[in-house]
Amino acid sequence: MRERLDDRDLERTLSDVGGRFEGPRRDLWPAVRARIEERRARPWWSRLNARTLAPVAATLAIILVAAFLLTPDLAARAAQVLGLPGVQIYPVPENPTGRPATSALTFAGQRVATAAEASRIAGFIVRTPAALGDPSAIYVETAPVRVTIVYKSVKGIPVSPQAGVSAIVVEFKGTIETQIMAKAIGPGTTLDAVPLGGSVAYYLAGQPHQFFFRDPAGNLQPETLRLAGNTLLWEEGGFTYRLEAEVSREEAVRIASTLR
Amino acid sequence: MTGEPLGGTVVRRVRTDSLEGRPAEDAVLVERAQHGDTEAYGELVRRYQALATRTAYMITGLSAEAEDAAQDGFTKAYFALGRFRSGAPFRPWLLRIVANEAKNRRKAAGRRATVDLSVAEDRPSGDTALSPEEAALASERRTFVLGALGKLREEDRLVIAYRYFMQLSEAEMADALGCPRGTVKSRLSRAIARLREITTGESGADA
Repeated sequence: MRERLDDRDLERTLSDVGGRFEGPRRDLWPAVRARIEERRARPWWSRLNARTLAPVAATLAIILVAAFLLTPDLAARAAQVLGLPGVQIYPVPENPTGRPATSALTFAGQRVATAAEASRIAGFIVRTPAALGDPSAIYVETAPVRVTIVYKSVKGIPVSPQAGVSAIVVEFKGTIETQIMAKAIGPGTTLDAVPLGGSVAYYLAGQPHQFFFRDPAGNLQPETLRLAGNTLLWEEGGFTYRLEAEVSREEAVRIASTLR
Repeated sequence: MTGEPLGGTVVRRVRTDSLEGRPAEDAVLVERAQHGDTEAYGELVRRYQALATRTAYMITGLSAEAEDAAQDGFTKAYFALGRFRSGAPFRPWLLRIVANEAKNRRKAAGRRATVDLSVAEDRPSGDTALSPEEAALASERRTFVLGALGKLREEDRLVIAYRYFMQLSEAEMADALGCPRGTVKSRLSRAIARLREITTGESGADA
């Protein structure tokens, strides 16, 4: 562009541009109607605005952690409102049946060699618990961003017959609004709130439980990896961490506290 | 009689879809939608889908994502109808929701600051009387201005779009931007000044 536009030319060009934007390539109403109907079909509490619920959830979290000391069941029943960022926990009447164990364990995402490389792709600093030693492999998914760190064999932690590994650590940046992971717990699975570094972590144990993740299309998909192990979920610095390994509550908390 | 015979055909005065909005009719449709009439909401969606998509496009710069953001914006607006203040204009309220949706998507995707914008070049826009040279110059100017717009801050781009691409009134702009009415003019002139800075800098660099 060699000429300088004067004010009139600029305004005229802006108006000219305005008349040339193309509208949507299709009628949006059928898709909007489908979304409205889909959202209507959901249970009433999922329609509540997460932002307005956040202060309520925070208050409830404090009350529940206190109440947990008296009635362990309460934590499990009301866990759905605790909301670790990006996580929803659904109490269900029955334990969901997991996928049958397969000998060929597959992890989703791009395999990288180091935490530094994973950090570069994920766009955040990937941290590993020092207590687990060096990871065997790291996988990075980008839509939504999620990092899975695999520990094939860790001294003192049995190798899961389902997955053939000792432990996994999953990290992602969740928000209260974007639910990246969901988890169904049924009878036989216990959910404990435990202190971790001045915050609260959640320890799930007992019967096998099923994780779900949002796929890039936004649908909940059952997690392909299932260690049937015990799980610790916690939040630190805006990131949500999940450690899965056949370890006790105390040991899980100890491992989590070595996150570097 | 609204028409008159002209060479065997009847020319009717067609009511144009005024950009100033049709508050009375919108209000009726909103009220029906608030009472569970989904089809009334469908009419509002069809009425404003072009504006909503354009608003989202100003932020995302990607047609597919803009349409998705507009759809989500319409869905959110539907469930927020209960909080819609009766008698308020629907259009800016909707655009504000759509713009927020588009901003969230852009943030989540972590995209860089510049947005690629383009317009249909083969679409007649009242310049059919231009000579080929003038048409070529106008097209060059459009590309140039769109490039500069893409480099503006999101808020500046949006205020210019509301004024020049959607012809929103000052009151509507204030509602859509969520700012006091008194600041709309200064925001617009600041945005234009920044656009001018970019265009001047670039035409100077090219010269």
